[in-house]
Amino acid sequence: MTSNSSPIVALDPRDETNQMGAVLALRPSSLDGKTLGLVSNNRPHTDELLQMVADVLREQYTIKGVIELNKERHQWPASPEALQQLATECDVAIHATAE
Amino acid sequence: MSTNSISATRNRFEDWEEAQEYYLENGLTDGLPVVVPTEARVSAMLEHCGLAPGQVIGVEGIRQKRFTAEKIAINAVMAGCKPEYFPVVVAAVAACCERPFNLHASSVSTNGATILVLVSGPYAQQIGMNSKAGLMGNGNRANATIGRAVNLVKTNFYGSSPQGMDKSTFGQPGKISFCFAEDLEASSWPSIATAKGFPGGVSTVTVFAATSPIQVEVVGGRTPREVLAGPAQGLLAMGPDTPEVLVVISPELMTYIDKADWSREHVQEFLFERSRLPAGEWMAWNRLNRPWEINRPEEMISCVPSPDCFTVVPAGGDATPYADLIASWGSSRSVTKEIQIPR
Repeated sequence: MTSNSSPIVALDPRDETNQMGAVLALRPSSLDGKTLGLVSNNRPHTDELLQMVADVLREQYTIKGVIELNKERHQWPASPEALQQLATECDVAIHATAE
Repeated sequence: MSTNSISATRNRFEDWEEAQEYYLENGLTDGLPVVVPTEARVSAMLEHCGLAPGQVIGVEGIRQKRFTAEKIAINAVMAGCKPEYFPVVVAAVAACCERPFNLHASSVSTNGATILVLVSGPYAQQIGMNSKAGLMGNGNRANATIGRAVNLVKTNFYGSSPQGMDKSTFGQPGKISFCFAEDLEASSWPSIATAKGFPGGVSTVTVFAATSPIQVEVVGGRTPREVLAGPAQGLLAMGPDTPEVLVVISPELMTYIDKADWSREHVQEFLFERSRLPAGEWMAWNRLNRPWEINRPEEMISCVPSPDCFTVVPAGGDATPYADLIASWGSSRSVTKEIQIPR
């Protein structure tokens, strides 16, 4: 078949844009004096895991405060309100899942 | 970038075989060969619908992906779609971008859900879709390629590829293609499109984040209660945290329902009542996701939250009384969109 032996120009099916334009936020050099956000996705044992992490961080740093948020359903994204609260009230946030 | 010209990267291949190897080796197919998406083929798809290449068909909220007409068309060509199928593909992708469908989570979950496309209304017949024997199987170009196109968009454009973002435990055959049409001749009921509030004559797509189907054979019975008892028992296999179930009723089964003058709502109510169990029993089977929220073990819990979570669709071959049960994945809701048919 001639169509099988001729040069072909074909198009790329992938997303070729970096639409989110996302880059990692700057990491603080220390958590001293920082407010920590703990985001649970409500799976069993997630809260316990986050508390363990928070306890370890409290031993190592002078954490200013801890804000706990519960995503309620692991299969759904956090609400815009929850994300806004994290962005405005926390310096760092930790999200965890467990089972 | 102009929305009036195709902006996708052009790749040059010496021949058909080289093109196939490129798409296969780069994980840009479902494992099967594809139609090579040349600019002429993609343009024909877009022109059929009067869509500009850069026109945004939908935006998915989690990853902020903007699904453009040209990228959907490229994947539709690769799937083997004819241009007249493209309005269905476009409507289905737009539906997948709606928040209730939860495209991101449903396409990466260990559950292995796929995108099922149900077409309702006269356009299905116009493009030759199969709503009868073997409708979920092979052999019909429209069914096979529309479903394939939507799933290629999901993997190639959205990025939910197997063993990458897609963490399916088992996967399922429907991840290659899962698409069929409602049989408007198989019952006296209004179409799914009408039942969902669209004007008469309008054709729609409904997308489901579908898990693997369960087929139930009905042996004996002449009344709706008798012939629906088996399918209702089959629903118990889905567990109590199922958001929706697509219940496909074969034409023979529908005759018993129609003869008794049962409406779609009547069937939904019956299935809801008969797929309930005490919470304690679900817990004993380890089927309840959040048992700590149960206060009374005797509390009755159905497999879906309410009767209207059953979408009951007449379709299939007319030789046997079967029902097919297809559960939605845990946190997805079906979304229905009108198919914009070019005039």
